[in-house]
Amino acid sequence: MRFDYPPERRYRPTHEWLTADEPRRVGVTDFAQDELGDVVFVELPDPGDPLTAGDAFGVVESIKAVSDLYAPVDGEVATINESLFDRPELVNDDPYGEGWMIEVRVDAAGELLSADEYREQVE
Amino acid sequence: MSDDDRGYTFDQARWADDDGYVSLLSEAAPGRAEPGDALPDDLTRDELALPDPAEPTVVRHYTRLSALNYGVDAGPYPLGSCTMKYNPAFLEDVAALPEAAVHPDRPDESVQGVLEIQHRLQRALARIGGMDAVTLQPPAGAAGEFTGIEVTKAYHRANGEGETRSEVLVPSSAHGTNFATAAMAGYEVVELPPGDDGRVDIDALAAAVGPETAALMLTNPNTVGLFERDVVEAAELVHDAGGLLYYDGANLNALLGRARPGDMGFDVMHYNVHKTFATPHGGGGPGAGPVGVVSDLAEFLPTPHVRETDDGYERYGPERSVGKVHGFTGNWLVLLKAYAYVARLGDEGLRDTSATAVLNANYLAEQIGLDVPYGPFHHEFAATAGDRDAADLARAMLDHGVHPPTTKWPEFVHEAMLTEPTEAESRRDLDALAAAFDAAAAADDETVANAPERTAARRIDQVGAAREPRLSWQALGDENAGTGD
Amino acid sequence: MPGDGSPYTAHPPTDRAAMLEAVGAERVEDLFDVPEAVRFDGDLGIEARSERAVRREVRSVLDQNADLVEFLGRGHHAHYVPSVVDHLADRSEFLTSYTQYQPEVTQGFLQALFEYQSMLVELTGLPVANCSLYDAATALGEAALLAARVREASGETVLVPGHVAPGRRAALERYVDGAGLAVATYPMAGGTVDVAALRDVVDDDTLLVYAETPTVRGAVEPALDAVGTAADDADALFCVGSDVLALALLEPPAAAGADVVVGEADALGLGTGFGTGHGLFAAREAFLRQIPGRLVGATEDETGRRAYTLTLQTREQHIRRERATSNVCTNQAWLALRTAIHVATLGAEGMVDLAEDQVRYARDAAARLDDLPGVTAPADDAHHFREFPVRVPGDAARVRDDLRDEGFAVHAVDDDLIQVCVTEETVAGVDDLTAALAEVVS
Repeated sequence: MRFDYPPERRYRPTHEWLTADEPRRVGVTDFAQDELGDVVFVELPDPGDPLTAGDAFGVVESIKAVSDLYAPVDGEVATINESLFDRPELVNDDPYGEGWMIEVRVDAAGELLSADEYREQVE
Repeated sequence: MSDDDRGYTFDQARWADDDGYVSLLSEAAPGRAEPGDALPDDLTRDELALPDPAEPTVVRHYTRLSALNYGVDAGPYPLGSCTMKYNPAFLEDVAALPEAAVHPDRPDESVQGVLEIQHRLQRALARIGGMDAVTLQPPAGAAGEFTGIEVTKAYHRANGEGETRSEVLVPSSAHGTNFATAAMAGYEVVELPPGDDGRVDIDALAAAVGPETAALMLTNPNTVGLFERDVVEAAELVHDAGGLLYYDGANLNALLGRARPGDMGFDVMHYNVHKTFATPHGGGGPGAGPVGVVSDLAEFLPTPHVRETDDGYERYGPERSVGKVHGFTGNWLVLLKAYAYVARLGDEGLRDTSATAVLNANYLAEQIGLDVPYGPFHHEFAATAGDRDAADLARAMLDHGVHPPTTKWPEFVHEAMLTEPTEAESRRDLDALAAAFDAAAAADDETVANAPERTAARRIDQVGAAREPRLSWQALGDENAGTGD
Repeated sequence: MPGDGSPYTAHPPTDRAAMLEAVGAERVEDLFDVPEAVRFDGDLGIEARSERAVRREVRSVLDQNADLVEFLGRGHHAHYVPSVVDHLADRSEFLTSYTQYQPEVTQGFLQALFEYQSMLVELTGLPVANCSLYDAATALGEAALLAARVREASGETVLVPGHVAPGRRAALERYVDGAGLAVATYPMAGGTVDVAALRDVVDDDTLLVYAETPTVRGAVEPALDAVGTAADDADALFCVGSDVLALALLEPPAAAGADVVVGEADALGLGTGFGTGHGLFAAREAFLRQIPGRLVGATEDETGRRAYTLTLQTREQHIRRERATSNVCTNQAWLALRTAIHVATLGAEGMVDLAEDQVRYARDAAARLDDLPGVTAPADDAHHFREFPVRVPGDAARVRDDLRDEGFAVHAVDDDLIQVCVTEETVAGVDDLTAALAEVVS
């Protein structure tokens, strides 16, 4: 297996992950960052913005590609990872750690995949 | 370069010092000029800081920059869908005629010469496209698309269907401009997937078309050089549903004098004069994107339009004109070159152009070792780089003295290398291109990863450029805009 | 093979035959996969001519243009273009190159465009300039669409000055139609913005306030700051229209709070071309990723040398398609090169001097015309750059036509107003124009 998918997290088919425990964070998977290539820009919502599962909440860009980020939950943006504005490469270097994108207050989780189900989908 | 290479020598880096080519700012320290007393102080700037080079320095600077640049006059430039053909030298002299340099706000009777040339070009383009009326106003191909789609919108509005017809259908193989244009005009874009043969899937089209359809935008031959064989059926489907058919003229070079969009059922089209009609691309314009329409749409064309009267030529506003898509009447000096090109070629020359462009593409496709899916091709083909990265292979081709093709597009061809040699390439240059393709494909991974090595600039840090945008001397700040000293 | 097809196809008959054989076709027609029903076998009716004949023909047709001294401006200005501009820009390495998608072999053009962007940054005072749009009118359209995309502005109405070129306004209206925006006018007083009246018009629905300096009538706008404040107070963006030469003299629009600057750069480097334009576009840093058109950035190649590349291309149509900031692709790059060469040739001193000359030409010519009985020049209270309105006794259109019969072209801009534009190209003709106007209005 080429990529790592932490088993305790949940995944969207569109390559976002959601942590199980507080703080509930959202980011993109190792597979996604590799597909994108070097990330050069991340556009994130403002804290307090509402989230709807399956709707786009932000954008991640490489040199030649632009991808929407889709919310894994209904809820609200609690905080955002502002360090990505200066260091978008964190998404590539540490997708499950320092490359997280937003922290969310969850009203209801959307339909999410387990790590194994997600792996099956992408590999 | 090896003995097999017959291409251009790109290595013009002799003009650069160790840190890169010197900037104008370094060659001439910024002058700081302060305004005098022509205007009161509160209306003027305190000072203007710009380089103040003497004329010989200006000449050296730009001459050396030109040596770092590659144009089609130097060798093959086979960018797919770009039609980098030879730009006849005399066109520049025609555009430089002092008689052409007049102001657009002169009254009609004092610009009869300009209006007559415009009228002649309108008619020639109409015949070439099988259209009834042509506007010359759009200043580029994308502006032509915008004009054509706005005309379409005006037509539907005039029929009381402005609200209901809210969708424009675009095949996924289309140029990005088609999607962007439709969105800019306020339409929902409905993307049509390609069929197994690389052409429009007529069943997918039938399923997508309906009372919401404003238009289908189609490029023919499409962006891998395939003729849309079902174009007549597609036109019927769209027309039966009340929609219009838009022809993207980017690939018209393939069909000059041999097939006409109007005869295929298209209602509105644009021409790329900087592709098909040999006006120089100029590193990204100016071009021109005239738009042709069938007679039902002529009353919606932009203002002013040129027509012939008993007394000569006049500008007028078509009855239900969409207004304007340019502050004046477009890139006149470019259109003048296009007129001269068409006049020089005539029927026979135009037919020879399409024939030779198609022959050259087919010959080149046959000569190269890479796989070329689909077919039969017309003016261009998309080879696949296979398990290689197409952009890497393109950079490797540079080391064999040719400009590479368009890469990684269209996306439905795996690692595409979209190649359009045009009619201007000799057999010798086509063989050199083929040799460069094959040499790059045969190179080992390390060579490809390090390519290019023989260019003025080596592989460029595009990621760094995007992560930390520095878009002016001023943004470079202390690093200096120049040599890094 | 002259007379037997195009002079610009490269194959001798032997090559053609060998190539056909290589592709397995007997005739080139066999390569066309075009259904019979849509083949074109007719004549286009276009007769081929020799190069010499085409040149003679074009010249003889264009000779029908009347021989007029043009005192015309209003967004398209004739300045003397030094010979070096033609000679350098015509180098085919520039002229016959494509957009710089292969930066390793287009460093020359990229650097020239980077330097052009830098010149505009200095001239506008804004930190980001793109490397051209079609013309000032379409650049204004793009500014309005940018305003509609950014969070900083809200509303659906674009306000333009009472004096604006009709073509510029018409193109703006066409550009914003798809986004559902409306265009409305605010009043002028004495040739420049009526700030109090503007404040009455600006409201929550205002998305963008557009003002010009110089205005279409040549007036230098003294109240740009106040216009900018009015826009700001309504959460609207402030867009200033100018031109590349005027900016060398006037206060940089950024100092008056401009969010976007648009205008004509064709004033330098191109000369008169029946309206062929070259749009300049600069904006605040905050709008970097919303800017339409191409941007050149500085970076390094793998040896650590300075290099240039098109950057932030994810804004553009070839990547972002229907969500691109604009559909613009081919723009006016070669004209940007020409403008840059012209600016470099003038230098800082030359730019300021040439710009100050335009103020003096307008002032001196107005004074001459103002001496004529029944004539008021300028017809407003403003300072002018190059051009100014002139009140004439009687019908302005008739005065314009009568002047044309005397060999002079001027604008008729209102019932009793003509407009006269004077540059270094026409200043020597002001005496004759004055004499002719004296005749016409007497």
